[in-house]
Amino acid sequence: MTPTPSKGVGASLRRKEDARFLHGRGRYVGDIRPAGTLEVAFLRSPVAHARLLGVQKPDGGLVFTAADLPGIAPIRANSALPGFRASDQPALAQGKLRHVGELIAACVAPSRAEAEDLAAACLLDYEALPVIADMLAARAPGAALIHEHWPDNAFLETRRDEDLSDLDACAAAKVHRRLRTARQHMAPLEGRGVLAEWDPRLEQLIVTTAAQMPHVTKTGLAECLGLDEGQVRVVAPDVGGGFGYKGILLAEELVCAALAMRLGRPVRWIEDRLEQLTANANCREHYYDVTAWADEQGKLLGVEVDATVDAGAYSLYPFSACLEAAQIGSIFPGPYTLPRFRFRTVSACTNKPPILPYRGVARTGVCYAMETTLDALARQLKLPPEAVRQANLVPPDAMPYRNLVGKVFDSGDYPEALRRAVAAVDVAAVRARQAAGEAVGFGLSVFCEQGAHGTSVYHGWGIPFVPGFEQAQARFTPDGVLELRVGLHSHGQGLETTLAQVAHEILGVDPARVRLVHGDTALTPYSTGTWGSRAMVMAGGAVAEACRQLGERALAIGAALLQTDRASVRLVAGQVVAGDAAVSLDQVARTWFRSPQNLPTDVDRGGLEVTAGYRPDPDTGTHSYAAHAVVAKVCTETGMVTLEQYVIVEDGGVLVNPMIVDGQVLGGVAQGIGTALYEEMPFDTEGQPLAGTLADYLLPGATEVPDIRIDHMETPSPWTRFGQKGLGESGAIGPPAAIVNAINDALAPLGAEVLDLPATPARVLAALTKAGRA
Amino acid sequence: MSITLAVNGALATVAAEPRTHLADLLRGELLLTGTHLGCEHGVCGACTVEVDGAPARSCLIHAGACGGASVRTIEGFAEDAVMAALRESFSAEHALQCGYCTPGMLVVARDIVLRLPDADEARVREELAGNLCRCTGYRGIVRAILGVLAARRAAA
Repeated sequence: MTPTPSKGVGASLRRKEDARFLHGRGRYVGDIRPAGTLEVAFLRSPVAHARLLGVQKPDGGLVFTAADLPGIAPIRANSALPGFRASDQPALAQGKLRHVGELIAACVAPSRAEAEDLAAACLLDYEALPVIADMLAARAPGAALIHEHWPDNAFLETRRDEDLSDLDACAAAKVHRRLRTARQHMAPLEGRGVLAEWDPRLEQLIVTTAAQMPHVTKTGLAECLGLDEGQVRVVAPDVGGGFGYKGILLAEELVCAALAMRLGRPVRWIEDRLEQLTANANCREHYYDVTAWADEQGKLLGVEVDATVDAGAYSLYPFSACLEAAQIGSIFPGPYTLPRFRFRTVSACTNKPPILPYRGVARTGVCYAMETTLDALARQLKLPPEAVRQANLVPPDAMPYRNLVGKVFDSGDYPEALRRAVAAVDVAAVRARQAAGEAVGFGLSVFCEQGAHGTSVYHGWGIPFVPGFEQAQARFTPDGVLELRVGLHSHGQGLETTLAQVAHEILGVDPARVRLVHGDTALTPYSTGTWGSRAMVMAGGAVAEACRQLGERALAIGAALLQTDRASVRLVAGQVVAGDAAVSLDQVARTWFRSPQNLPTDVDRGGLEVTAGYRPDPDTGTHSYAAHAVVAKVCTETGMVTLEQYVIVEDGGVLVNPMIVDGQVLGGVAQGIGTALYEEMPFDTEGQPLAGTLADYLLPGATEVPDIRIDHMETPSPWTRFGQKGLGESGAIGPPAAIVNAINDALAPLGAEVLDLPATPARVLAALTKAGRA
Repeated sequence: MSITLAVNGALATVAAEPRTHLADLLRGELLLTGTHLGCEHGVCGACTVEVDGAPARSCLIHAGACGGASVRTIEGFAEDAVMAALRESFSAEHALQCGYCTPGMLVVARDIVLRLPDADEARVREELAGNLCRCTGYRGIVRAILGVLAARRAAA
């Protein structure tokens, strides 16, 4: 008997974590308030660039500036990439203010409301400086310097030089576009939150925080506070959405920690939406200047791209200010066999909140730039958009494929995904409606997503951590429950279920008898955490290996109980079996822990707790991929866009839990629709954020997200434990490109084209006006 | 100020500052943390509870205005058959991921099911327009509600 297929790898098992959330029993940071807790409200910078001259505190209140909390080292996220300039981000502002919302002082009171009263009563003295509110202005000669000891406002510039000057003469088509994507907020529904406590008995700082990477947070806290890592425990309880927003060492964490140590009381800060929007709109803002050349079939001859990313004022820990821009060069070729390529990327420093990698990281912008460029080529060559892509996609027989910038694709049939996506939409009907004069369009995007990339990729970046061997602990409790301990964190991904499925696959233990412990550095092995679509590959592989080794231990004990040798026993459906005789894993555990008198003295003494490390080989990452196909209707009177059809063909390798995979894809697409059509944090020329509520910063609701169709291919990755691939970010990558391609297909007969995201009604109307059609 | 109100069927008398909103009262004073705060200006719907039988944004109601009111939070539906069906359906349709919007979604979903027994997909989506979910893309939530509606119509 093999493990029941309905519960192991490949089963759409319902989630074990659902019950507590459905009954309101989830426990988030904001739900935890020990007796005696003091609340913090931060006095934040009201201006984007200024010299801070002083803070006048209200009488009698507990207000702490940088001078009051000495000994906190600045946050410094370096990179080993040549030429990178690290910034020193003070926990509380020192001397200069570099973006609206930067922390100046912590105001402490029994309630948040009273703490906010204190913040409102503080008086600031500052001298305004010229503001760099735009990434292109930051690059202009003579621009005001945000970090004054730097020669210019760039964290990093990268380039690849290749002479493309001959292409003008031989190409059948050449297009040039300037494209922009908007600055966004990741907007998890739960904001950040920190509760810091000092345990005088253990001499340990305990920080409960909404974190995706609790161990990395622990390391960062220890470094900045001058503690050894054993003195810091980080607990991430239930976390209400991450998306990258909670993959960071926070200045707020450092300040709350220092206050808890100073005051001897629990200290808590819960971010509100105003803080989240105005101080932390921190992703996605790219500018591309792209030129592409192709032959008459649409085969790319070469691409040149000059890309700038608005990285904001500081380099955040641990991912640094350059992770986004510097990877544009390596991911721009996408799923295509690009023969020649020239690029320059700049991580521009501006007086805006520092950036974090949001779901999809740079890929959403890159996919937008590449895929809209391909459509522009298709229009110029009068070819269908799918034909241009088919002329360039990496063919399946070339897998594994190494492209011209050294990215290695593991497996898949990219052309087939595109064929299926096109076939799923009635393109002929769209063309007929267009012929009848309707402003309706068909749009595509094809892309791949590198996930779970490890040491071989990240050591070159030299950021504060390099991911390596993911570890998991598997152990039996005396009553036979299988406990899994992992150092990364599940905040919606369903790992409490999927890792139990992995354990079931190996040991046959019913997932109901598997318990996942995560989110507490005191209880789990070290991990770089949940990011980069790595959890199912890395923790899945580690849990499988730990369970395999635990199974070996159980077999040795089981063989002793069955009075036979190790070679005669097998693990079958949660039992150790020898011929017709069997003992359950429960009995094995009970015997080992509680009735050792029943074991021979020479039994294997390894015990029933195993920690194992895992790393795929090679560890250059899995590449999931997808084709998105969209039919969109544009109202040329109002500029409103309606998504009529949305089809996805996705290949994430072997799916551990198809239901959860669909959930990841659908959620990502909803965020991508936000990027494409709605979400934008505008800043004025003084660097002031212009959206302060969710009535100004528009998130897609149930009426904005259509019913999406998903078709799966399952090409195993040859390099992972079960053939699974990382795909948690994939859904958020493709939508802006596919949607704007559909919009531009609809607008093409009118001579109009949208170039900038999001494609709001105002931008659609502006495009029509520019074309003289509105 | 002192406020007496019924919460999940039990009378409670609590002290609150005039500026306290109902959500902070429920969470802070009564420790009913199943009600979540997402935006505190009435857009995201995470804090939705039932006040006198109808869904309401607990972040927009001053606690002081709730004297004599009957409030029901996600913790107060243990005996409710419609909520039980919705919970089952939400799990079956994978209508939740991080769980933060879920209590507010369920309160609104129950209202949709009871008030609009013939609602179709378009109507359900429209009714959900005041509740944001950042994780699921809504498909599971819409299908879960439609599933309960269909089951109730079949049983009627």
